[in-house]
Amino acid sequence: MKLLTHNMLTSHVKGVTKGYPLLIKATEVKMNEVEFNPQFVSRMIPKLEWSALVQAAEELGQRQDLPGELVSDYEKNEDFLKKVHRVLLEVEVIEGCLQCPESGREFPISRGIPNMLLNEDEV
Amino acid sequence: MSSQEDGAAEQPGPDTTVGPSISSSSSSLESDGTTGDIITVTIGATVPTGFEHTAAEEVKEKIGVDARISKDRGRIYFPISTDKLFQVHLLRSVDNLFVVVEEYDDYQFKQSKEETLMELQQLASKLPWNNALEVWKLNRTLKKKKGYRKGGNGTKVKPESTDAAVADTEQQEPPEAAASSAESQAKTESTPEAESSQQDSAEAAPEAKVMKFRVTCNRAGDKHSFSSNEAARDFGGAVQEFFQWKADMTKFDIEVLLNIHNVEVVIGIALTEESLHRRNISHFGPTTLRSTLCYGMLRLCKPQASDVILDPMCGTGAIPLEGAIEFNSSFYVAGDNYDMAVNRTVNNICHIQKRRADKGSAPGLPIDTVRWDLCNLPIRTSSVDIIITDMPFGKRMGSRKKNWDLYPSCLREMARVCRPGSGKAVLLTQDKKCFSKAISRMGGLWRKLHTVWVNVGGLHAGVYLLKRTGAVFGQTPEDVYESRGTVNAQGDEKDDKELSEVTSGV
Repeated sequence: MKLLTHNMLTSHVKGVTKGYPLLIKATEVKMNEVEFNPQFVSRMIPKLEWSALVQAAEELGQRQDLPGELVSDYEKNEDFLKKVHRVLLEVEVIEGCLQCPESGREFPISRGIPNMLLNEDEV
Repeated sequence: MSSQEDGAAEQPGPDTTVGPSISSSSSSLESDGTTGDIITVTIGATVPTGFEHTAAEEVKEKIGVDARISKDRGRIYFPISTDKLFQVHLLRSVDNLFVVVEEYDDYQFKQSKEETLMELQQLASKLPWNNALEVWKLNRTLKKKKGYRKGGNGTKVKPESTDAAVADTEQQEPPEAAASSAESQAKTESTPEAESSQQDSAEAAPEAKVMKFRVTCNRAGDKHSFSSNEAARDFGGAVQEFFQWKADMTKFDIEVLLNIHNVEVVIGIALTEESLHRRNISHFGPTTLRSTLCYGMLRLCKPQASDVILDPMCGTGAIPLEGAIEFNSSFYVAGDNYDMAVNRTVNNICHIQKRRADKGSAPGLPIDTVRWDLCNLPIRTSSVDIIITDMPFGKRMGSRKKNWDLYPSCLREMARVCRPGSGKAVLLTQDKKCFSKAISRMGGLWRKLHTVWVNVGGLHAGVYLLKRTGAVFGQTPEDVYESRGTVNAQGDEKDDKELSEVTSGV
């Protein structure tokens, strides 16, 4: 699971109102090299929940020097874009789980695949 | 298309362009022997029916020529010069490629079967084979250079020997072409050198190896007096006689195509050994979609840089994987509720990544896989740009009754996650009735833009291109109605019951 995907995932357990962002508990993380595309990154940034991304990176010990708030004029800052690229696409959680911040319900991650299926009583 | 000739060719342009009027191509074989001649031929391509225009667009974009769409559905034709031949292998919307030997727009078949078949036999020795054979040879060299797509599909390594075999047989051609055979020998040795950097081009001594071939005939139309088998047999017999090749249905070097569609007759030589349509998938599922069809669907929605593209019923991941490779400035999330499906998807992704790593490229693809329930997606509202998927048809997967409940639920959930105003969906389904009904109730959320009618495994299906309206989810009349679950001015009691069943699970 890449952090870009994590940025979109939310808990949908019945009754939960604040199911985002999911907390990450990782037992295995891998780095996977992805070709850098600056246009992709700069256009993706406005679509992200920035603080959730930073928090997730922090949880994995991959934050490095990513700022807590977006700087203006990042589109031309290739250094910055490369850091974001790395965190969005190259860090992969292979084993672990995602935890709903409100209910505590854990969704396992195995082989890089988060299992977000709910049980009958949770729907 | 004009041809480009280097060196001192004695005859100018017209003879070397290929079209219905061409007979002798001997002038194209005269060359100074060093650079090799560039000839222009017509390439035919089979594409998933319904996506002919998409394929023509791709040809225009990647090769820069206008393609002609045949009346025989699922085929397009375009010209190409041999120096650009490698470009045909960049096309992602074509299943099979062939080089045209000759085309007849309005072939006058004889009345009786015997006469017709006799004429086909005679045709074999009169056709302008040379250019097509040159292209076939050149194509073999190109494929070896690429270390072609999936390994182990039977490519044999003997270009010189086949060159010699062809050169030898060309000496048996009728007198007027006899002059060309000496040049053709010179040419076959020079062309590989000009085009290929491999060592095989430099080697000389060919052994006398007999070429193996087969003829495949596709016939459509109700006024023919013969069957495709008969045509293939008789035409094939004459080809064998003419070239002194050996017929072999399974281990052939050359595949000759005889395509007859009413009065349109096309003779060609295949350039693809196996259909390209399964190129990305190594782990199949029961309903894996052809990559060419996936590509057609993706082109339809025109992915932009940074688009978030979801396939909520991904199966083996064929669609998002094709997207991650071909439209790689977007990001794909593939999801399914079935564990075997998500596992196969991940296996397919890993397979491609490993192949890329082996070639020395950055292996990672912009794609992720999640296991989820598509009627209850764990995705933030309005965060997805495009939804693209192959919906269960109710035949090999799921059931018609299930579709009745499934389609409205998933269309609503897809509308929730899709960005209002700019979002799009491209949905493939065979259950057109159920889909149309489900969509007609969602006018507040989805608008139909365009439908492409396709053929998937013999079934007539539709690819629906939808636009997400600007309406915010939860505030359209349908949403308000469903949350109340009572008043419906137009529906009948049965409809009310269905709708309340749908909402109860949400």
